[in-house]
Amino acid sequence: MTNHWIDIRNSDCIMIIGSNAAENHPISFKWVTEAMENGAKLISVDPRFTRTSSKADIYAPLRSGTDIAFIGGIINYCLVNGLYNEEYVAEFTNASHLINSGFGFSDGYFSGFDQKNSKYSKSTWQYQLDENGIPKEDKTLKDPNCVFQLMKKHYSRYDADTVSKVTGCPKAMFLKVTKKYCETGQRGKAGTIMYAMGTTQHTYGTQNVRSYAVLQLLLGNMGLAGGGINALRGESNVQGSTDHCLLFHIIPGYLKTPKAGDKDLQTYLKHYTPVSKDPKSVNYWKHYPKFAVSLLKAFWGDAATEENDFAYNYLPKISGNYSHIALFEALYKGVIKGMILLGQNPAVGGPNARMERKAMENLDWMVAADLWETETASFWKGPEVDPKKIKTEVFLLPAAASFEKEGSITNSGRWAQWRYQAVNPPGQAKDDLWILNAIFTRVQNLYKKEGGKFPEPITKLAWNYGEHPSSHTVAKEINGYNLTTGKLLANFTKLKDDGTTMCGNWLYSGSYTEDGNMMARRELDDPTGIGLYPKWTWCWPVNRRIIYNRASCDTKGNPWNPDKYVIKWNGEKWVGDVPDYGKTVPPEKNVGAFIMKPEGHARIFGMGLADGPFPEHYEPVESPVENMISSVQIDPIVKVWDSEMDKIGTSDTFPIIATTYRVTEHWQTGAMTRSLPWLVELMPNMFCEMSKSLAKKKSIKNGDNVKIKSARGEIEAYALVTDRFQPFKLNGKVVEEIGLAWHYGFIGLSKGDSANCLTPHVGDANTMIPEYKAFLCDVKKA
Amino acid sequence: MAEKAVLLDLSKCMACRGCQVACKQWNDLPAEKTTFFGGPGYQNPKDLSPQTWTLVKFFEKKENGSLIWAFRKHQCLHCSDAACIAACPVTPKAMTRDKETGIVYVDESRCIGCGACVEYCPFGVPHVDEKDEKSKKCTFCIDRIQEGLEPACVKTCPSGALIFGDRDEMLKKAKAIAKKLKMAGRNPYIYGIKELKGLHKIYVLPEGLDFYDLPKSPKVPEDIGLLEGLLKPISVATLTAAAVGLAIGYLKTVRQEQVAEKEKEKC
Repeated sequence: MTNHWIDIRNSDCIMIIGSNAAENHPISFKWVTEAMENGAKLISVDPRFTRTSSKADIYAPLRSGTDIAFIGGIINYCLVNGLYNEEYVAEFTNASHLINSGFGFSDGYFSGFDQKNSKYSKSTWQYQLDENGIPKEDKTLKDPNCVFQLMKKHYSRYDADTVSKVTGCPKAMFLKVTKKYCETGQRGKAGTIMYAMGTTQHTYGTQNVRSYAVLQLLLGNMGLAGGGINALRGESNVQGSTDHCLLFHIIPGYLKTPKAGDKDLQTYLKHYTPVSKDPKSVNYWKHYPKFAVSLLKAFWGDAATEENDFAYNYLPKISGNYSHIALFEALYKGVIKGMILLGQNPAVGGPNARMERKAMENLDWMVAADLWETETASFWKGPEVDPKKIKTEVFLLPAAASFEKEGSITNSGRWAQWRYQAVNPPGQAKDDLWILNAIFTRVQNLYKKEGGKFPEPITKLAWNYGEHPSSHTVAKEINGYNLTTGKLLANFTKLKDDGTTMCGNWLYSGSYTEDGNMMARRELDDPTGIGLYPKWTWCWPVNRRIIYNRASCDTKGNPWNPDKYVIKWNGEKWVGDVPDYGKTVPPEKNVGAFIMKPEGHARIFGMGLADGPFPEHYEPVESPVENMISSVQIDPIVKVWDSEMDKIGTSDTFPIIATTYRVTEHWQTGAMTRSLPWLVELMPNMFCEMSKSLAKKKSIKNGDNVKIKSARGEIEAYALVTDRFQPFKLNGKVVEEIGLAWHYGFIGLSKGDSANCLTPHVGDANTMIPEYKAFLCDVKKA
Repeated sequence: MAEKAVLLDLSKCMACRGCQVACKQWNDLPAEKTTFFGGPGYQNPKDLSPQTWTLVKFFEKKENGSLIWAFRKHQCLHCSDAACIAACPVTPKAMTRDKETGIVYVDESRCIGCGACVEYCPFGVPHVDEKDEKSKKCTFCIDRIQEGLEPACVKTCPSGALIFGDRDEMLKKAKAIAKKLKMAGRNPYIYGIKELKGLHKIYVLPEGLDFYDLPKSPKVPEDIGLLEGLLKPISVATLTAAAVGLAIGYLKTVRQEQVAEKEKEKC
């Protein structure tokens, strides 16, 4: 979240799209409700009518996978009718920036597409620079090469009629949403977008989010109380795990994992430290070397010295894609021999779960740590498996639940909240720190004793946590120390790139200081009255509760909404929230408001994306219709895998759209909920929701058992026939969509077929998140 | 302690069913073995039972092209004129009203599990547990109230749909909420002001009275007096569930005959 949970209450208009917050984030509705009590309007955009929709002022249906068409249509309407915040757009975004005149877009392709390698060359997706190397701008936004004009041209193709044909949302309904939401472009108004996996789990999921960013920037909603783009994270601490970068392409604090070509520290730092020649740009990432060197010091301690590049050569370098899908493709091919899973259940949660289960058969060993036995730990006794033929040795380690251990949980609003241990774990269950420490110390001892090809990264790792690591020790290490004084750092502005500081994650520097554990604070002061609660726990970065908050004021430093100001200039300094700006830098200096970008401006034109600087509508890999906006059917960067179990279906055999989702009563793969009798009582069985018209056509009655088939598998479920699903009219063609809860599997108190036996093994062009939310199937009575 | 009530503002209920789980957790009630039954909506279990004292009912209706999906938390309404108390044949009564708060609860030490309360409750709330032969229903968490806490369901409700407080305050709130809903073009009805001389669970029904499967004008059945008369000759010590069952059975037959006669008259 750019903002935070409580801040939702400050909004004038809440658009929930790609999220079913009432069901999957019920606590958020405390704040949604409060906003509505104060007069805010709630818009729910969803393929089906959900418990969120039931509370909305406006409900608009859209076919799964058509967010960019929908939002692109709003952007177009906003631009054509001049409903954007002109000062904000001209001064705070890159709308005024001139782009290389070679940039273009033609029938679904941006300039620079390399058909052979399915890749873009981004040489034309660049700013025009003046003689000093500073991007050229036209603040009148009239230059045909400026981002604003390019954007206007791009989205002119997204008129309301086209949007309706593509999305299946009736035109009147689309316009109702559009007009209501665009009211937040007025000075003093704020609109927020709440989104979740319905947005991201597409082959163009990143661009779906980008489309929200473009809209929010046009309406001047970023940085304001009640504004922002708010990702509702699906797990209590998934924000924390993201910040610590439990992903293959980044290391703690969103630093880049070195690539094979980054041969030494200097090359690496040069590669990833952005340079700006603009004196009006803060370009905060210029401090990258301080963050990176301090991290290396945290990893390898005294073994990291200036002479040895701070042990940079111990860091693993990547040469390929190691995302979930790629890993399982490699596993399927027999490349991977062992697997450690902590709280993961891909046998139910992974895309094309039948294929992923099959791939697990190639493992020599598996270690699974979880609260209950999971389908993954028991893949060898699942359906379609003969246990006699499985050679894998499986170790199931009993793990402690969150209430059985002490530590921090970072919520969606970036608040790192310290939690105490409530009870001891049952039996032999241990917390993750204990488990990882026990595994690592044994591995390290083996390397010390037996050596290996390159043992130093392991043997020299600074690892001295004793038998049972304390979460306080780890939290302090994450915060970082001044190695000269031995004192905890106050925050990341104290970091150095000369090896005199160490810090496990620069973003979290300031969370555990000499003044104590900031994450454990529980003070209820609210000096601004907008619910920032600055002394309640701690929030990254530097306890800033709303990021990009410089943009909450106009160029003169006056809040767009004085009643709900986040920060304001008092003549000497910025007061309110921790400013996302120099605390004493006056507004008249006109320093760029978005300090993390080298150009100091928020990017409407995003040259960092793999598949285009403007979000463009493509169809899901499996779609019932042809792309009506261009002749390029799917996102051209998307990789379609080719193992024999990676089948892609077509609409002649599989004419119905399917989507997957969670319900309030269960959680993720059900590993934590399908063994709890009270929750099983509420949602006992796998079910499939469908429209009355589809049910009639297929002679299915409410409560019948049905079979759902995709190119990858077939499952059974109970039918829930409901008006909450309605067929979509797509350019005259009527298409049905069904919905599947994805919580069920073959282990636990409540068992059922896994929806993911049907989903495809394809991922987003930028992030590789799987396309769980839109694929093709057929349905019949069982 | 003043008279208490829980206000159920259904305009805010999103059917997360946290209340269902909180009720079972606080009251140590076992889960029922359920099966998907096609709703409406996601409702489960099918009905209240000795193990389930509250449940959320789902209502789905398409009107003029737009859909209404509404929810109602169902449980004992703690009536001022409570049919269950009137029907309870033991002396002193097992079905008891706490004079201060207005809470209606079962004193299990007296309950003989005869089912008279089950028979006469206009809302189908109490259920006799066959195992211990006691009548079971929502206790309003009287054990929590006496310790100055709110009921477990109220404590867990994330959206503010459930509010606990003094009954007159809750009525005021209900009226204010209904007024606001009316201004927003809804058709609210406050259920519990006068129904059965006042309920201690007060609903604000944003879609009107007809939508939520509630009796329009609930009444204490007239033949409760007859039941008392029939049981009078039996002494307190020898009164059994079986005897009450026989009496209820007899009254049922009488009632059916009366209905049949009325039908005849109509013809």
